[in-house]
Amino acid sequence: MQNEKLTFQTENLDGLTVVRIAGELDLEVASQMRSVMEPLMELSDRKLILNLRDLKYIDSTGIGILISIVKARHSRNAPFGVEEVPSTIQKLFDMTGITPFLAASPNA
Amino acid sequence: MRNDGTVTLTVPAKAEFVDIIRLTLYGIAAKMKFSFEEIEDMKVAVSEACNNAVLHAYDHSQPGQLEVSFTVMGDDRLQIAVSDSGISFEQVSDRSTSTLHGKSIEEIQSGGLGLYLMQALMDEVEIRSNQGTRVILTKRRLAQETV
Repeated sequence: MQNEKLTFQTENLDGLTVVRIAGELDLEVASQMRSVMEPLMELSDRKLILNLRDLKYIDSTGIGILISIVKARHSRNAPFGVEEVPSTIQKLFDMTGITPFLAASPNA
Repeated sequence: MRNDGTVTLTVPAKAEFVDIIRLTLYGIAAKMKFSFEEIEDMKVAVSEACNNAVLHAYDHSQPGQLEVSFTVMGDDRLQIAVSDSGISFEQVSDRSTSTLHGKSIEEIQSGGLGLYLMQALMDEVEIRSNQGTRVILTKRRLAQETV
């Protein structure tokens, strides 16, 4: 059962998985986020994109999860990135310095 | 809203109460006519302070309380004090702030980001540790036309 505070919608396209994350990504839903993402992180033959258009809130808890996804995908040599990042969230990505790690590698 | 009014909220130090704190913060800051962006900044900073208390202040078998007080200072400053009566902050983590700038994928980690964001998003951050920890965050509203 998903907590309605944070919802996930996964779309499998050709060689690409897009996960649309909507709601608030905070400490309360961190373990839910990790358990949804873990199996997807393993799929090294597919490009993984998180669509953040409907993400309303993130803090260092969520950014920490993104760091672990970045590292897991890097160790599998598998592309990962984010798209449609709202400006308030992009500001936090830029401040913390995670932005350059969230650009999917072009050789997808 | 002005003249040194204080609103205090006491909640269990658990993750599912941190959004209640954010909602209260939103209500007070919007009433003080902080901008959308300023309110978003404060939401993150206050949540980081609450997260620290939720994660580190208390033994998991005996969760304690989190007290958050919002004080309106003058007509353009909001001070938010997040207090717990658990293990003091300096005993559970170093006070270093850290970002990912200039680091390689192998080097990046999330430690220090929360404290960094508090300092970057607020005008003042003070951390007092005595019997528990008290994090005092202050933000001044940018000057704008008052109606």
